[in-house]
Parts: sequence; C-alpha cells; structure tokens
Amino acid sequence: MLEVKNISFSINQNRLFQNLSFNLSKGQAIHVKGSNGSGKSSLLRILLGISSASKGEVIWDEEIGKVFLGHKNVLKNHLSVADNLHLHGLDVAHPEVRSILKDLNLDQKAELLVGNLSYGQQKKLALVRIFLNQSSVIILDEPCVGLDDQTRRLITTFLTTELGKNKSIIYTSHIPLELPSSEVIIGIL
Amino acid sequence: MFDLFKLELFKLRKKLRAWLGPILVFLLITISFPLTVELASDDLKNVFYSILWIASLLTVMVSVEGIFLEDYEDGTLENFSVANDSLFSMVLIKIFIYWLLIGIPISLLGTFFSVSMTGEMSSFYIALPSMLISTYIFINLFALGNSLSLNKGSVLGALITMPLLFPILILLGKIVLNANFGFEISNLLLLMLGVLLLIIVFIPFIISFIIRTHLE
Repeated sequence: MLEVKNISFSINQNRLFQNLSFNLSKGQAIHVKGSNGSGKSSLLRILLGISSASKGEVIWDEEIGKVFLGHKNVLKNHLSVADNLHLHGLDVAHPEVRSILKDLNLDQKAELLVGNLSYGQQKKLALVRIFLNQSSVIILDEPCVGLDDQTRRLITTFLTTELGKNKSIIYTSHIPLELPSSEVIIGIL
Repeated sequence: MFDLFKLELFKLRKKLRAWLGPILVFLLITISFPLTVELASDDLKNVFYSILWIASLLTVMVSVEGIFLEDYEDGTLENFSVANDSLFSMVLIKIFIYWLLIGIPISLLGTFFSVSMTGEMSSFYIALPSMLISTYIFINLFALGNSLSLNKGSVLGALITMPLLFPILILLGKIVLNANFGFEISNLLLLMLGVLLLIIVFIPFIISFIIRTHLE
C-alpha cells in the first residue's frame, strides 16, 4: 500500500531525520513517535505529498484514498456546526452523523457557531469528518491533543474498528493509543 | 465540479461581510460622487466613468482580499490537496463565484448609475459589458496578487498586482473616449474579452501552483 524508501528531510540545514524506510500494509497501524520538533508532522506531510523529502522515495499504490487531520481542524469559525458538516458533505440530520455527534456530546450544538466552541469541542467536530470518511488510509497528527479521556477512548475504538475493516492508519501522538498488535512504532529522534 | 461550485457558493453566501460589504462600499462611492460635484457640469458625464472604473477596481480589491486566506489558515487548502482534488478547479470556481456575487451586482449597479447620470440609454451599452468583463479580469488579477502574498498580508499582493491592471484601465478609458466621439467600441470590448479568455484559464492555473508552493 505504501513504501517509504530511505527518506531524509532537513529544514535550513537542520536535519530532522535521515534514511527512514518502512512499509504500510492493509489493516496496519503505524505510530510515529518522537520529541517535539523531531519531524513527525513533516514526515506526515511528506507521506501526504504536501511537502517533498530532501532525499528518498514515497510510493503509494495508485488510487488510494487518504484522509488527514492535522493541526488545523478544517472548520470555519463563522459557520455553525451543521454548516461546517455540510461543507464536508455531511448532513446533520443523517442518523449516522447524529449518532456520532451524540457520542461526542455535540448533538445539542448543531446550531452553534464553531467559533463559540471550545478547542476540545472543535477538535471533536473535526474528528466527525474523519470518522465518517470512506478512505482506505487515515492519517492523524496528534489526534488526542485537547481531548478528554472519553473522546480518546472513542478514537481508539473507532481506529480499532477501522483496522478491522482493513484500513490503514498512520498517526503521531505523544499519548500512545491502544491499537491492536499490528501496530509498528517508528521512533524519530 | 458542480458539488464544488455549490459548496464554494454556500461558503461565500454565508460570509455576508465578504460580498455585501464591498457592494455597499461601491454603492456609497457612486452615490456620494455626484453630491461632491456640480451636477449641471458637462464634464460630469465623462468624469463619472472614471469614478466608476476606479470604484469597481477598489471594490474588487477589498472583496478579494481574503479570497484564499481563510481556506489557507483553517487547513481547507491543505485538505483539498491531500484529497487529490484539483486545486485548479477550486480556484477557477472560487473566482467565478466572487464574480457572480460581487462582480455582477456592481456591474449592474454601475450601469444603473451611469444611465442615471448621463440620462442616455447608450451608457447602458458602454457600462454593462465593460464592467462585466473588467470586474472578472480585476478579480482574477487581485486573486493572483493575494495568492502570492498569502502568508505576508494582502496589501503586498494588491501592490504587486496593480501595475498589471493599468492596461485594462487604459482600455476602459479608450472605450469611453471612443463612445464620446461616436466611434465603434465593440473592437475594444472584444479585445478586453480576449484578454479575459486568456486570463480565465491561465491565472487559476498559476494560482493553484502558487498555493501548492505555499502549502509546502
């Protein structure tokens, strides 16, 4: 599904990582670990094709759908929760959407402006888009930041279910998620 | 592509200050101008067009100020790029929607005011096509400027773009001059339309490339 061959990345002569190689197959989760500023987010951006590696190759199987949640939540502050979901092609009245909103305690907030939600609530809302996406690869950059224990457990349950559907996951997190044994850890120093 | 059009239209329509504000600014300029000059003056008719072109230019400049900024800051552009969706189509549609919600209304308002000011129906045939075409060109060029200065502030973008707009302003001036002397204006309008047809494809292509570079 994904083959990463000897990639290196530097910013302004500062080498973040070098000769990193790994593969991602169906139903597998990769946890990218590392200290702050070690290049975890940069690695994800390279895998997504947003940034380019200084050296090496990233090869995806053709036609692989990817969904990504990074540090930016892809939400419009001046729009309501329902309008933001609409922008992502989700109808707040749909039973599946309603059920997830309820799990995330956002079901009563559909008409509220996103700008009036707390950071954690915004992060939860951003997760709705990820939870309902049909892409084969889920890429998350620090998905647990600002979230309560209940939501963290919900993310773990969701990701475990998605792995069971043969989807693949790559995530960075300082808080490890308890995903099935297929987890591979790549440490970036 | 139609879904994208609907979503982009929804986004701008919901952001009232981004499109209604500039239209009101345009309205204020065109209404206040006759109040500051001698209405009986013969020169008023000629000067009015210049005010109209400058007002539409400034209105577009103000309205296009944040055309990509919000999407850039909240991660929409990044997300779009990840989903392998065409940034070119998004830029093309965004610019068209800005023209639809801002360019067309100010063109209609400008035409209405030019007919009222000159008292001649011939003004309709000068103002309407000139404004419809020129506002689309202005939006494209200011969008280009804004994409260049996406993370550096929009004034810089407008400054970079302004010289590119001078030929269009000269053409607009020529159109009024020709019309006053009773000469044909269709050739100048066609020239402007030709410029627009080139711009309509190339500018979104260049912008999508610039945005991709910013995302890196």
